[in-house]
Amino acid sequence: MVVLLAAAIAVYRDWSSTRIVALWVVGLVLSLLLFNYHVTSSLDLSF
Amino acid sequence: MTDVSAEITSEDASGATAPEPPTNPLLSSFAFWGFVVFILAYCGTLLGAFAVQLVGGEFPCPLCMLQRYAMILATIPAMWIVLEALRGTLTRGRYVRSIGMSIVAACAGSVFATRQILLHILPGDPGYGSAVLGLHLYTWALITFQIVIVFCGVMALLNRHAVPVAPSGSVARLAAKAVVWLFLGVIVANVVAIIVLEGVAWVLPDNPTQYNLLTQLGIG
Repeated sequence: MVVLLAAAIAVYRDWSSTRIVALWVVGLVLSLLLFNYHVTSSLDLSF
Repeated sequence: MTDVSAEITSEDASGATAPEPPTNPLLSSFAFWGFVVFILAYCGTLLGAFAVQLVGGEFPCPLCMLQRYAMILATIPAMWIVLEALRGTLTRGRYVRSIGMSIVAACAGSVFATRQILLHILPGDPGYGSAVLGLHLYTWALITFQIVIVFCGVMALLNRHAVPVAPSGSVARLAAKAVVWLFLGVIVANVVAIIVLEGVAWVLPDNPTQYNLLTQLGIG
């Protein structure tokens, strides 16, 4: 979330396109990694 | 062989020097306000999620938070379009790049939301959290991501005639900037929310039942 805030501030402060896109991609990849963690974590199920 | 080479060169040269078609003022204005409404709509959605969390007392699960991340990821490019239009630096290339970023983020958000829908797809499953207008928040999230994909697709189709142009009136420009500021405020609020919810930990528990930071500080 902090990375997303940094990307938004970068857009607002008119940083270079490369840095903004890089921050945005980092945010996206971290989100996907977090999703991967939660999807593959074991659930406490009992039947 | 020589003829083919000459033909390619000619095509490249003509493509590079061909004048871009003029943008339609009405469509350009529509595109600008379309992206402002895009930002405003997701601000409303995220604030609505906050209302459910704070007023309704429901704790967002990891997948809920991931959907919020995807909404923010999809809206940052829209904010970029609006700000570049306000600065007068928005080109067709930059516009299409931002649209592409929004579509990618909306696709990721669709995956997150679909995963949560499938977790509660069995008959008799009450779902996670309370329903709003008959649908759970993650179902609404999926609908918003599909709307974003369709909207961005239409805007991309119209890009040759409708690169967003900011209005010249000071009130209209101020309104657009206010929406951008609102969005920045929503992101800051989400940063605070996730820190308070997660506490000193790398990830959220699967079914959060408390604000971990408050508990760790001995407040909650």
